[in-house]
Amino acid sequence: MKFNIGDLPVLFPYPRIYPEQYAYMCDLKKTLDAGGHCVLEMPSGTGKTVSLLSLIVAYQQYYPEHRKLIYCSRTMSEIEKALAELKALMKYREEQLGYKEDFRGLGLTSRKNLCLHPSVKREKSGAVVDARCRSLTAGFVKEKKARGEDVPVCIYHDNLDLLEPHNLIPNGVWTLDGIMRYGEEHKQCPYFTSRRMMSFCNVIIYSYHYLLDPKIAERVSKELSKDCIVVFDEAHNIDNVCIEALSTDITEDSLRKATRGAQNLERKIAEMKDSDADKLKTEYAKLVEGLRDADEAREEDAFMSNPALPDDLLKEAVPGNIRRAEHFVAFLKRFVEYLKTRMKVRQVISETPPSFLAHLKEYTFIEKKPLRFCAERLTSLVRTLELTNIEDYQPLQEVATFATLVATYEKGFLLILEPYESDTAEVPNPVLHFTCLDAAIAIKPVFDRFSSVIITSGTISPLEMYPKMLGFTTVVQESYSMTLARRSFLPMIVTRGSDQVAISSGFQVRNEPSVVRNYGNLLTEFSKLTPDGMVVFFPSYLYMESIISMWQGMGILDEVWKYKLILVETPDAQETSVALETYRTACCNGRGAILLCVARGKVSEGIDFDHQYGRTVLCIGVPFQYTESRILKARLEFLRETYRIRENDFLSFDAMRHAAQCLGRVLRGKDDYGIMVLADRRFLKKRNQLPKWINQALLDSEVNLSTDMAVGSAKKFLKGMAQPFKPRDQEGISTWSIRDLENFKEKQEEESIRQLREAQTAGAGVVDQHMEGVRNGNEETVTRGDEYGFDDDELEASMMELDGH
Amino acid sequence: MSRNAISRLGDNPSDDICPVCKSNRYLNPSLQFLINPECYHKMCSTCVDRIFTSGPASCPVPRCGKTLRKRGFHKAFFADLKIEREVDVRKRVGAVFNRRQDEFETLLDWNNYLEEVEGLVFDIVEGDAKTRAQAEEKLKAYKEANSGEIEMNTRLGLEEGELEKRREKAEREAARQRRLAALKEEEEEKADLLKNRKEVLDRLATEDGDANAIAMQAQKVILKKSSARRNLADTQMETNKSAMDSGLTIRGLKKKEAPVVEKPYDPFGGVDLTPSRYVLQESYDSEWLGNAKRDMRHMAGGYSLQEYYARTMFEAFSGLGVFIEDEVADRGQPAPPAVGTTPAVGAIASGEEPQSKPKPQYKMESDDVF
Repeated sequence: MKFNIGDLPVLFPYPRIYPEQYAYMCDLKKTLDAGGHCVLEMPSGTGKTVSLLSLIVAYQQYYPEHRKLIYCSRTMSEIEKALAELKALMKYREEQLGYKEDFRGLGLTSRKNLCLHPSVKREKSGAVVDARCRSLTAGFVKEKKARGEDVPVCIYHDNLDLLEPHNLIPNGVWTLDGIMRYGEEHKQCPYFTSRRMMSFCNVIIYSYHYLLDPKIAERVSKELSKDCIVVFDEAHNIDNVCIEALSTDITEDSLRKATRGAQNLERKIAEMKDSDADKLKTEYAKLVEGLRDADEAREEDAFMSNPALPDDLLKEAVPGNIRRAEHFVAFLKRFVEYLKTRMKVRQVISETPPSFLAHLKEYTFIEKKPLRFCAERLTSLVRTLELTNIEDYQPLQEVATFATLVATYEKGFLLILEPYESDTAEVPNPVLHFTCLDAAIAIKPVFDRFSSVIITSGTISPLEMYPKMLGFTTVVQESYSMTLARRSFLPMIVTRGSDQVAISSGFQVRNEPSVVRNYGNLLTEFSKLTPDGMVVFFPSYLYMESIISMWQGMGILDEVWKYKLILVETPDAQETSVALETYRTACCNGRGAILLCVARGKVSEGIDFDHQYGRTVLCIGVPFQYTESRILKARLEFLRETYRIRENDFLSFDAMRHAAQCLGRVLRGKDDYGIMVLADRRFLKKRNQLPKWINQALLDSEVNLSTDMAVGSAKKFLKGMAQPFKPRDQEGISTWSIRDLENFKEKQEEESIRQLREAQTAGAGVVDQHMEGVRNGNEETVTRGDEYGFDDDELEASMMELDGH
Repeated sequence: MSRNAISRLGDNPSDDICPVCKSNRYLNPSLQFLINPECYHKMCSTCVDRIFTSGPASCPVPRCGKTLRKRGFHKAFFADLKIEREVDVRKRVGAVFNRRQDEFETLLDWNNYLEEVEGLVFDIVEGDAKTRAQAEEKLKAYKEANSGEIEMNTRLGLEEGELEKRREKAEREAARQRRLAALKEEEEEKADLLKNRKEVLDRLATEDGDANAIAMQAQKVILKKSSARRNLADTQMETNKSAMDSGLTIRGLKKKEAPVVEKPYDPFGGVDLTPSRYVLQESYDSEWLGNAKRDMRHMAGGYSLQEYYARTMFEAFSGLGVFIEDEVADRGQPAPPAVGTTPAVGAIASGEEPQSKPKPQYKMESDDVF
């Protein structure tokens, strides 16, 4: 269908539109017009992606700036889905407009997924594929080939050089499959095609990391212009992604490997000195000038990049004491050796980067400045030495990255040395965590560079938390409710068992038999009444294991077994995928199954349980993080000190976003239905932190239920759902045809005209009076509301009194 | 785990067996290794006691034979003794070559200096006997030549370290205070809440009236209070911050520039456009402007006579007082196309104005601003 938002004609590839989709598009357009960032929350399964794409593509094509869209999503499957959506949209647009638009949309994923080279693509691990690919495609390999040396090359990559650099692939939308097929036909590398074409396409769809991880972003996303529209979809976890991108863990093993890497480097340097000393000399000369010049040869084959170095530093010359290759290697060795010594300590240490640097300087005479250049200098050296087996140097690179980060940032990072894996462990296994505490650091370049950044997800409540944590300001900040013709999902909060004992996964009571039995009863009851699939979420693996074994002892599992197949998620991905497969089979053939999984596990994010795959989701306990973790403690403290977010606020926010994410798994569209049960006493108070669309559907009568009451209303709900329901019934309410949309717009216009007219007829003075009247009215209502004759002043006074006590 | 430990043992057997007496960690769990920076040979503390208690003796490691004293032994910081030695050398060299970056004119000089020092260290650490001797010689010579400066730089370095330490301590203290304050605040809030609840209960018990209203009232009080507290905390935070800043200025001694206050945007880049040669009047009498002045239709369209006057006056005066000769001389390069007109304009200008004030005339140089 085709309609206008303001002056912008939008082509929407479906004959019907949801009201919230329309509202979403309007707000998106507002954001783009105003040129700022926004946070939008839209219920899951209401076609977020398609409304986003159709609006932004329309915007691109209509306005002369043709702003590029960078769409970032989380997983491969989501990227695939978005690409397919985009392809369908463009096809529809072509049909409607009658001509093919000059449009190119590409997806980018790792080499492992896109490789066509017959032997490289058979490698299992992504790192190996990357390394082997680089050794076949690096710049110096080509040079060698040109010199007539016999070196292996990748024909798919080299074929690209025969094509015009700005036209490697024809216009159109290329799904990952599509580009693989095209690459196979034309014998060209899909990965490099995508990457090189990035500056020539209208829509790019790739993973967060290409934009957030500074190590990758520098290489991949550097050329994107400032007016790009950046979208982060499924962004409820974006702060954790940011933090992970800048954190590193160093173990004894990696240090050992780093030492070996440094020794290899030393040997290579000696070899090169004998055979080809000129090369080292030219590198040296370049470094004297400054890093930027040394970098002009920097290309896509650079194997690593510096993490988040400020630009002014890059323009500076490399410090004199690491300019020579052998000096630099000695420098690295010294640093690694220092870290090894630090790892020998047998107590937990947490220190800030400045104090680490001070200690480092005292013992090894390593200054801050050369340390900052470490990563960059190593890259340059590796390039000069023309190393091909790059994976050997990965640990050394990690150490160098760590060095650069620790010397660059004073605030927002913390070093934590944990000598033992757990509190009870006897054998030391030290890990040096270098953790980023401030999510804003990684994402800051994105906000600085791009004028419009859109952060959106199905569950991103409370909205104001994200701008606070990520350090940006929004133009629009909106949460949409779900319009439904019938109540198609039933959220409930169960706080007590049938015996009126409060249930909670709180630390003190979680292992009490009464609580465990009540949870077990809840499970049994719902397994009896739920048709097909049922998903149960626990706060942690540990708790899940203990509670399952207790249920086994109480005979609860045997009872459940009569009604449903029981499957369990484990930390092992392979096992879990088998469990999922079985679960789906059981749901499809009518037997039904229960999947027990963990709220922070793989299942809770990204795997949908639509229709028969999930009719009930049961959230046992509030999924709090493990609060004893030192890293979490440090982060909480940082948040309190810097952003004034209180520990409990953050913990509860984090738990609730995971809970909401779990709940959202079962409802993937308007024709779907499901029951959502939150089983913990503590959910009662956290109700307001649920996303708006869930909270609105949560009736006041259903927030404080006992098990039997919950079972009663669930039964009633399911009976209602069993009634025949024609798609026609939804029309005009939860789905709009073009006529409904026009009606709505007309009404809206009338409303605005009426308001305008009112404002006009009332003159300036009248308006003032009117305002006065309104204010008086307000006061009147206030005083009337206070039945105890409290005036506002009195109230104030009573407060003062209270304060005085 | 245990396998890990074994492999570690395998990696570096000398870590658990004394190379002199061959006693190992299994027999003597408190085995401790010491080294002497004379020769960096490792031996266990028992050996050191045994051999060197009765005065200086030669190193027991074969083919070493250096005379060592017990006083010189200490525990090694690094597992790799080569690094240990390198660091010791660095300590010695660093104490002598302790120039600071601000002593150098350019970055390049500073970097060259750093590289030179690094080369010297390398010579001492890795070089053969001859280069080592040369390097030591150099070190000594430099030390003698620059003893005064070295001392001063050492003092500066010490002071800096002291400052750094003090700042860190202050920061830690401040953080601790903040943590305490936050805890206290939380407790207060909790106590308040409890008290309020109790009050509400009391009131519900004693007063008669609508129970809902009482509850609402209490809710309101709590909300108001918490918001007031938050505001207070925010302002406190602000003041804290400023206080902290004043504390931080100690650190500002090094180098810290106050951010330049952002000036309002000037579209003409500092060129002053107010006329210096004429005064713009309210209105000028001109018969062919009379119509425009009177006619409503002109004015309704937004036509402004003032704008017109300003532009005409500007255009009339814009060529005056421009001394192309001077400018050309200033620029120091010939401007061939201007040659033809230069004398004429120069003559007029010099006839009108004394040559001595060419500065303000630059104002007129800019192109038509409208």
